Amino acid sequence: MNALLRLTEANIKSFVRDRAALFWTIAFPVMFVVLFGTLFGGSNTPDYRLGWVDLDGTPAAQQLHDAFASTKVLSLKPQTGESAALDSMHGGQLDAVVVVPKGYGGAVAAARSATGDQAAAPGSVALVLYTDPSQSTTAGAVSQIVNGVATGVNQALAGRPPVLTVTGKALQGSSGELDGASYFVPSILAMALMQLGVFAAIPLVQDREKLILKRLGATPLPRWTLVGSNVLMRLLIALAQTALILGIGIVALGVEVTGSWPLIIGIVLLGAVTFIALGYVIASFARTEEAANGITQVVQVPMMFLSGIFFPIALMPSWMKGIATILPLTYLGDALRQTMVGGSPFVPLAVGLAILAGWLVVCLAISARFFRWQ
Amino acid sequence: MLQGSTSAGPSPTASGHLATGDAVIRVQHLTKHYGPLAAVDGISFEVGRGEVFGLLGPNGAGKTTTVEMLEGIREADGGELTVLGLDARRDRQRIKARIGVQLQTVSLYPHLTVRELIELFGTFFPRHLPVGDLIKALDLEEKREAQTRTLSGGQRQRLSVALALVNDPELVFLDEPTTGLDPAARRSLWDLVKGLQGEGKSILLTTHYMDEAEILCDRLAIMDHGHILDLGTVDELVGRRFHERAVRFDRVDGLDDAQMAAFPGVSHMAHEDGLVLLYTADVPATIGAVLAASEALGAQPNDLTVRRATLEDVFLDLTGRALRD
Repeated sequence: MNALLRLTEANIKSFVRDRAALFWTIAFPVMFVVLFGTLFGGSNTPDYRLGWVDLDGTPAAQQLHDAFASTKVLSLKPQTGESAALDSMHGGQLDAVVVVPKGYGGAVAAARSATGDQAAAPGSVALVLYTDPSQSTTAGAVSQIVNGVATGVNQALAGRPPVLTVTGKALQGSSGELDGASYFVPSILAMALMQLGVFAAIPLVQDREKLILKRLGATPLPRWTLVGSNVLMRLLIALAQTALILGIGIVALGVEVTGSWPLIIGIVLLGAVTFIALGYVIASFARTEEAANGITQVVQVPMMFLSGIFFPIALMPSWMKGIATILPLTYLGDALRQTMVGGSPFVPLAVGLAILAGWLVVCLAISARFFRWQ
Repeated sequence: MLQGSTSAGPSPTASGHLATGDAVIRVQHLTKHYGPLAAVDGISFEVGRGEVFGLLGPNGAGKTTTVEMLEGIREADGGELTVLGLDARRDRQRIKARIGVQLQTVSLYPHLTVRELIELFGTFFPRHLPVGDLIKALDLEEKREAQTRTLSGGQRQRLSVALALVNDPELVFLDEPTTGLDPAARRSLWDLVKGLQGEGKSILLTTHYMDEAEILCDRLAIMDHGHILDLGTVDELVGRRFHERAVRFDRVDGLDDAQMAAFPGVSHMAHEDGLVLLYTADVPATIGAVLAASEALGAQPNDLTVRRATLEDVFLDLTGRALRD
């Protein structure tokens, strides 16, 4: 056990002192996140489609409608009813829905007549705002605007307590695509984990070529310790990558992580182990470092572009979709998007995890059969 | 066993058994095949406690394969292997704890420091020597906190020996320990090996340097094409076939082998890189004949030298070719 920990420590020291390794596993994915953050994060002119459901029908409600319209960043789409509006939102035609409750006009009138009379304070009414948390920037912006308008109305009525409150409601799983940051932060995390695992092949083949595996084999150190320390080191790096990429996503890009953390970390570890096993498969067949480099690229580049990392699988032509269906990265990205930001599933979570586990078992079996120490 | 030999010299000892009973290595009929190629073809030898034993031969002779089977990192196809009284094919883990292994040109963990690497190796063994003592013994003190990738060839080789000694082994395997080193570094490594022997350790080393084998080895086995061609002390190996001296000169055109073999005193002859070697018990008579025969052809034998036979001659005699780096 001591040997396992010391060997892991040695591996991590070697890793941290090797600037190239550090760049590819840490700086490279961070660059991607920052690059995509600038591309999708900021400058596009917001124009949010807000479904307007007026259950009140009074002139006061119409005035509220005009107040929203005057913000210029919302296009109000009048709806016939609440359920129809939510259907439209599910269908991706609306970004958010506001419901003006019955009795709004009455409450406003009561507030006006009760001005200055604290004893006869009127009851407040609540606007209902539906947003989709999987589109975190949109949801955040719309709810800020709606709250802002509500504050303005309250100030105009000078009512204490405020007449108008906003009740936010989440509408999960709309078929609209995730917004930029929410889509690519989990996707790039998946890509980084894939690369971390697949690139494990290269040092393994180097160590074999440089007879390091043989030299270690001449000590009483059990082989499982050697493998164990390598896997352990990569899992620790995987957790560091996760913290870093999600940290940037949450703090700088406003991505809202809605899923359970233990589940997310479990999926990160399953994905990392699966791709490390794939790295061992590559090392089983690559005899030279050059071969390992080549095979690694042949494996990782198509996977990067055909697994829905940079653009959703739903938008792919069917032949590409066919390839995506096979690739393990498809399922890791899908599982992370589903659990982290409530992304719409490509396959149900359990199915995706089962497919990943299947890849893991197959890779382990192939490595156990073909991996050579010298 | 004498495959490739051109000599009519005395036969090598059949098995290489020691006179004394205490052997740290006992190898019998060891074989290893790579496809149709027999890398090691039924060799037998023993190494006594406290002995420095050498496997001498060119690259590809089967030395490293033999050593790796003894170290438990390569499977033997056949034969019996006993190391420190244990079966080398069944008791690998117990053997590995008690032997020290130095492999050819390994650079381990280039980003760890000398101290970190020796400490790390210590944790692989049930017991280990203090790191400071090893660093001092191997003269690596000024490189103690240097990453191993910054070491010179000689320092790297000394580190590699330090790693082989980390568990205070009874038996040390050194595979081509001085290959690629400059003369000063070679000499300091030779001193180190002698020092280890002084501490009572047994050593098996492979080399393709004649001088190294002559200086370090109590006994040695000459290997070629997976066979042991002969085995014994340097004096035994030389004395067994050369009571004579070697008269050596550039080949003279028109002077044929049969003629030279019949010169007075010549027991047998050999060729080496355009040189003729006449092994003779009567040096003046042989040289006189060489000069007379050359003069008759209107020529002169260039670079005429006389020397005592060495391991080089033994190897040439056994294989018909010179052992070169």
